[in-house]
Amino acid sequence: MGKWLTEAIVLLNQKHNFNVKLYLLARNISEYREQVPHLANLPFIDLIEQDARNISNLPEDITYIIHAAGSPDSRKHISNPLKTIDIIYRGTHALLDACLRLPNLKKFVHISSNYVYGHQNDRTTNIKETEIGTADPNSVNAAYSEAKRMAETVCAVYRNQQKLPIVIVRPFAFIGPYQELEKPWAINNFIRDSILGGPIRILGNENTVRGYMYGSDMAFWLLKALAQGKTGAIYNVGSDQAITLKALSTKITLNFNNKIDVLVKSSKTYPLSPVVSVADTIHIRTDLQVKQIFDLESALKRTIDWYKQAEQPNY
Amino acid sequence: MKNILISDPTLRDGNHAVAHQLSAAQVAIYCQAADNALIPIVEVGHGNGLGASSLQVGESLETDVVLLETARKNLSKSKLGIHVIPGFATINRDLKRAIDIGVDVIRVASHCTEADITQRHLGYSRERGKETYGVLMMTHMASPELLVEEAQKMELYGAEGIIIMDSAGAFIPSDVTDRITALVEGLSIPVGFHGHNNLGMGIANSVAAIEAGALMLDGTAKGFGAGAGNAQIEVLVAVLEKMGYTTGIDLYKILDAADIAEQHIMPLVPIIRSESIVSGLSGVFSGFSKHVTRISKEYGVDQRDVYFELGRRKVVAGQEDLIIEVVLDLVKANKNATRTN
Repeated sequence: MGKWLTEAIVLLNQKHNFNVKLYLLARNISEYREQVPHLANLPFIDLIEQDARNISNLPEDITYIIHAAGSPDSRKHISNPLKTIDIIYRGTHALLDACLRLPNLKKFVHISSNYVYGHQNDRTTNIKETEIGTADPNSVNAAYSEAKRMAETVCAVYRNQQKLPIVIVRPFAFIGPYQELEKPWAINNFIRDSILGGPIRILGNENTVRGYMYGSDMAFWLLKALAQGKTGAIYNVGSDQAITLKALSTKITLNFNNKIDVLVKSSKTYPLSPVVSVADTIHIRTDLQVKQIFDLESALKRTIDWYKQAEQPNY
Repeated sequence: MKNILISDPTLRDGNHAVAHQLSAAQVAIYCQAADNALIPIVEVGHGNGLGASSLQVGESLETDVVLLETARKNLSKSKLGIHVIPGFATINRDLKRAIDIGVDVIRVASHCTEADITQRHLGYSRERGKETYGVLMMTHMASPELLVEEAQKMELYGAEGIIIMDSAGAFIPSDVTDRITALVEGLSIPVGFHGHNNLGMGIANSVAAIEAGALMLDGTAKGFGAGAGNAQIEVLVAVLEKMGYTTGIDLYKILDAADIAEQHIMPLVPIIRSESIVSGLSGVFSGFSKHVTRISKEYGVDQRDVYFELGRRKVVAGQEDLIIEVVLDLVKANKNATRTN
């Protein structure tokens, strides 16, 4: 997410003279420099190495903040659940506290997660911002979703008591360059399996329905929320173009010349009715006049072409 | 008709039964027989898996490279599998090399409460495009609820299925039913069972697993494996056929393969010895049996006492060095008892 946002800012500065100065805060700056030297060395980007939990002072000329600290990688959540909670809760708390000392803060966008929607049993329609489902907090699996819920509450407190101009966005699923293909998400794994020659393995319910948004669309929507989002608003960010995992796997295979098999591996027989986890985006489309530029087919093609050309060392 | 995926660890678990002394020639002979029988996955290696040959758990007669290259040459229809315990097997030294040799299936295992250690190995295996499973060992030591949580970790790390092992042969069918039912409910991916025969329950437990929703089973030729041996693959295939399941395995040829195994690779067909029953009752890893027998004999203690004490201490695979500690404690206790008398 950070790299896509940075690429979008670079485009705005270099092609449209926006003259944005960007402070990028991360826990491991040397890793960032290594991965994207063409971004890290730009004169209008300042890299700050710091853990979000330890922030006390921020550069005073900051006027807009996007708070995206915390990895969405579910493997990290389950291996380090307490650290996951700590980074999300204390990171959000510390950052908002530091914002109180910024003289000209105009907007703070908090990146939450679609995980706050919890279990959406038997859902067949896209999820609206108001449709919070049930959750079982008594599970090690709940670390990320419960921490994200708590972080939204922390945002609500700072907005109400300190009058900070906070907007919350809830991202869904994305696809595009820079996403590491070993990340534990179906679309990444399907592309990786295809690059390796197949077969694609669908693990679990093939009728699960998702929506995938291209990285540049996501970056533009987030910047619109930063510039024009209404304080106190919550926006879903994601594609509302629903697709089953089965259909997604077939679409991916069409981008390869060789025949790629698709295997379904599951512990049980699922009902044929789909399990839907797709964003309803009417709110953000209406408030911020955004639209999706890249449909799934072109998003897949661009992503797969990027991976083929990038000659990723691991794949 | 439901298909059950059968894995055959005769040449891996069976290595426990011969103190890891299976030769390349024996591996070649059984691989040919297994391949002819169309066994889907043939697992090969040291009893404790890839990279495990050591003074502590026993040195192999053959290196991993020899075992795997030999198996690879002799398997064309069956897939070649390996058992990988992080700690014994490292990614750079062992796993990369095994994949380069041509391993098809990688089963990454941990003690039943330690799934966290499997993340990197499972991830690497998936990155290399290999068929990848998570294995939880000694599962009698964890409740069904805890097993589900550990298995969910492996699922997130990239496992395409989870196999639970009754490494001590401690289960009765209701134990298996409880655990498999919970796992099928709590996971999206297929579940499997690997049974040992200490209490004579190898086949019964495997059937209980299938009836509770498992889709994968392990079995070895004539039950060749650690302790009292494993669920017998030729019996398993026959029973599954009778129950209306398919395995893709040729019945006559698996019967032939079992006879070949008996003739060429096993000094003795596994039987349920007294110490195996005690091992099952006390919940001690079947792979300990040779060490327990040897050390108990050396120090003149009753090995049944050793098993119960090891069970009380909840030892797990890899803690073979505790056997001598327990034996010495028993020797001391016996001496004190003699003096008191």
